[in-house]
Parts: sequence; structure tokens; C-alpha cells
Amino acid sequence: MPGYIQGRNVNLTFRPPNRGPVRALSNFDIDINEGEFLSIVGPSGCGKSTFLNVLLGLVKPDSGDLQIQGKPIVGPGTDRAMVFQEFGLLPWRSVQDNVELGLELKGMARDARRKVSQPLIEMIGLAGFEGHFPHELSGGMKQRVGLARALATDPHVLLMDEPFAALDAQTRDLMQVELLRVWQEARKTVLFVTHQIDEAIYLSDRVMVMTKRPGRAKTIFPINLPRPRDYEMRTTPEFNELKLEIWNSLKDEITV
Amino acid sequence: MTETRAIETDIGGPLESAAPADGLWHRLESTIFGAGGIVVLLAVWEALPRIVTLSAGTKLFFTTPSQIAETLWQMFATGSIWVPLSVSASGFALGLGLAVVAGLPLGVLIGRSPTLNAMLDPFITAFNATPRLVFLPLIMLWFGLGLWAKVIVVFIGALFPILINTYEGVRNADKTLINVVRSFGANEWDVARLVVVPNAMPYIVAGLRLAIGRAVLGVVVAEFFGSESGLGVMMVQAAGQYHVDKVFAGLIVFAGLSLIMTAAVQVLENRLTLWRPQRAGGE
Repeated sequence: MPGYIQGRNVNLTFRPPNRGPVRALSNFDIDINEGEFLSIVGPSGCGKSTFLNVLLGLVKPDSGDLQIQGKPIVGPGTDRAMVFQEFGLLPWRSVQDNVELGLELKGMARDARRKVSQPLIEMIGLAGFEGHFPHELSGGMKQRVGLARALATDPHVLLMDEPFAALDAQTRDLMQVELLRVWQEARKTVLFVTHQIDEAIYLSDRVMVMTKRPGRAKTIFPINLPRPRDYEMRTTPEFNELKLEIWNSLKDEITV
Repeated sequence: MTETRAIETDIGGPLESAAPADGLWHRLESTIFGAGGIVVLLAVWEALPRIVTLSAGTKLFFTTPSQIAETLWQMFATGSIWVPLSVSASGFALGLGLAVVAGLPLGVLIGRSPTLNAMLDPFITAFNATPRLVFLPLIMLWFGLGLWAKVIVVFIGALFPILINTYEGVRNADKTLINVVRSFGANEWDVARLVVVPNAMPYIVAGLRLAIGRAVLGVVVAEFFGSESGLGVMMVQAAGQYHVDKVFAGLIVFAGLSLIMTAAVQVLENRLTLWRPQRAGGE
């Protein structure tokens, strides 16, 4: 049975001017089930963020086959949305206008946009901050706006590119809990790129380890920990065993 | 008793009452000194012919602040200023307006399109490096001494600061933010509208401020060297007839216009950049 998202032999080489070509993805295969939470971990520069951009439709692969629900990806579409690493909020737009960005680009009228954005802003706990500009928000608040913006267009697939990397450890823990809550409510298919093995295990149904550049899928670890998950789970022997296994798989790919 | 009072005053009274007065003085200090300097200068100037006896020849080239004020007042009272002022103002407004209308979109296009940039860059660089006065004879030959020659001179002067600053601002656009709006299905026009132009706004406003200076200069140059009417023409004619007070009156009107325009840009800038951290106050 083909996956909800299916990639076969995806190849991509960057050709920056005045420098040698860089092979980012090499015969990359992936299958993701509908409603699944899949994390990708891999060494820096292995092409995991690149793959998200390919899925998003911003970067075209050189060859290979990449489909969502049997339809090939030809460009950005409303069935997918990204939560960006450095939040990617437009600094000249208020919280509300940032959340409504995708709706505005879909041509939705102002009143209809308000009806969608208001419950989302309440859900992320930023009611009362609608008129604030991004520079007036903390890092955690900014990324909650980024999450609400991605959810506003009601995509089937949520792509998350190290979304919590710019946050401090405590805020990151809280955001993970919040993300799981949102995911359990909205039942999106999530592709989550991270450097942190802890984070990947805690959140995911499966964790994919990628090889060093040019990136391929190396091993996929099913995470059979029960849901809903809580913070204590991180101290259980099962959790730590998984952590060790994934680390052992990953460390061979890391060159210092 | 006296001791207690002294301590009390030390802690409470004087400190509390001194603080706001001190703050007020600090805020007004530069204004007071600035205005004071002008007042002293004007007073010395006004007193000069009363202290020193000027020869008849020198008097021809001399005027006093009160004389200038009187002339300026008469020009407004009789309405004789309105025709030259409106001629100069329309040359300024049309030229600057056209420069904005042409320079802004062109700057965005060149900033976004490497092809257009490669095609137009040599022209822009060469044109911008050439002193604008060089074009004056040609412009007068082609467009005569009327309004449009002036508009062209102003336009050429004001176009490049706007064009080049817009281009620089556009080149500086955040690639991540462009990807963000693209991922939501934005086309090139949306990218310009939502990211590139707002991002370039501080550059554009700085360019506009420069352009206003160049535009005023353009009006003055055009009117000094070849126009039928305008404030500059009035000044040149007045100088020819030794009406020094009238020359100064024209100068003051030009300075006043420049100040008003600069203040208008400041207001515009404050409105457009509300979102920036340094403007929001607080920290």
C-alpha cells in the first residue's frame, strides 16, 4: 500500500555559483502514513531541511517521484504548511495579520479571516495580543503564532523545520506538550525535523535517521510508547533504550 | 528642630520638586539654546546699521531682518507671492511625484530581476555619476523655459536617490520571509507587496528625504538659469534691482518649504515604521 506521502528516488543537487555542486539528496525514499507524526533526525547539512522545502514545493528535485495522496508535488499548495525555524513572522504585521497571512493569500475576505484566526489565537493562548507586533513577543509566543499561522489554512500536512531550536529549554518543553495537544485535536500528518533525539522520541510515532550528505533514509525507529505522553515518560527505561539505539545509529553519520 | 527640618527637606521636598523641573529644563535646553542663538544673531544684525555708519554704496547691498519681515509680509498681504510660489511648487511637486512614481517600481523591478539589473545598471551608474547641471542646456533646448523643463530638472535630480535606495532595500529582503509567503502560494506581486517593499521601507524613506533636497535644488537651479517665472526667477530679478530684502524673502520661503517637506517625511516615516522595535518605546 502506498504511503499518504510517498517519495521514491528523490535526487537533488545544488549548484551554487562559483562553487562546486552539492548533492543534498540521493535516492531518498520515504513513506508517511496519514495522521502520523514522523520525526527526522540527522547530522547537520544532511538535507533534512532541504527535503521539507521540496515537500513544501519551494525547491524542485532533479529527479524522482514525490506524491501526496497520489498527486505529484508541483509547487506550494494549501494542503501543506510549514512552521519555520526562526519563526518567519513578518515583523511589520500584527499577531492577527501574521496568523491570517495564508488566508489572505487564498483571497478570503476580512470577516471570514477573523472567524478562523480568532479561535486559533485563543487556542495558542495569545488572546489580547492580536494587535502586538512580533518584536513585542517572547520566542515561545512567536513560535505559537508561527504554529497558528500554519494551522489557519487547515492543511493536511504540517511541516516543521526545527521549530523549537531557537527557544530556551523550558519553553521548548512546554511547546512540545502544546504541540502534542494540538496534533491530537487536529490530527494532522506531521513531519518534524530536529536535532534533538529526546524531542523526536517524545513527539513521534516513528523517528527516521538520515545519513550524512547526500542524505538518504538510514533507519526508521517505531516509537511504541503509549499516548497521551507525559513528561515522566522521558525517564522510563524504554525511552532511554530508544534514545541509545537512535544515538548509536546517528553517531556514525556525524563527523566533527 | 532645625536639624529635623533640614533632614526632612533633604529627603522629601527639594528632591521631588527639583526632579520634574530638571527634566523640563533638560528637554527644553537645546530648544532654548537653539532659539536663543537665532535671536542673538537677528538682534546683532538688526542693530548693526545703527551702531556702525554704512556708506551709501554698502547700504545698497544691505538689509535688516525687520526690512525682510516687512517685505515678506507685504508679498503675502498683496498676494504678489502666490504666482511665483505656485509655479515653483508645481514644478517641485510634479517632478518629485514623477520621480516617486517612476523610481519606486523601477527600483523594485531592478532589485528583483537580475536580467533587468544587468541591462540597466550601466545607464543608472553613468547617469547618477554625472552632475545633473550638465543636462540643463539640453533640457532647456528641448523643453523651453516653461513648467516642464523645470519638472524634468527636478525629476532627474530626485529620481536617483529614490531608485537607488529602493534597489538597495529590495536587495536586502529577507530570503526566509520570501519563502514564507511563497509557501502560502504568493506570486511575485504578493512577494513584493507583502515582504520586499515593507522590508525596504526604511531605505525608501531615506531616499525620499534625499530626493526632497535634490528636488528643491532642481527648482532653484532651473529658475536661476532658465525659467519664465517662479520664486527663483523672482529672486534673480530682485537681486538685479538691488532689492536685497526681496532676495532674502525668497530664500526664507525656500527654506520654509524644505523644512515643511522634511517634517512631512518624518511624519510619514513614523507612521510607516510603527512596527520597528526602536519606535515602540519601552525598552
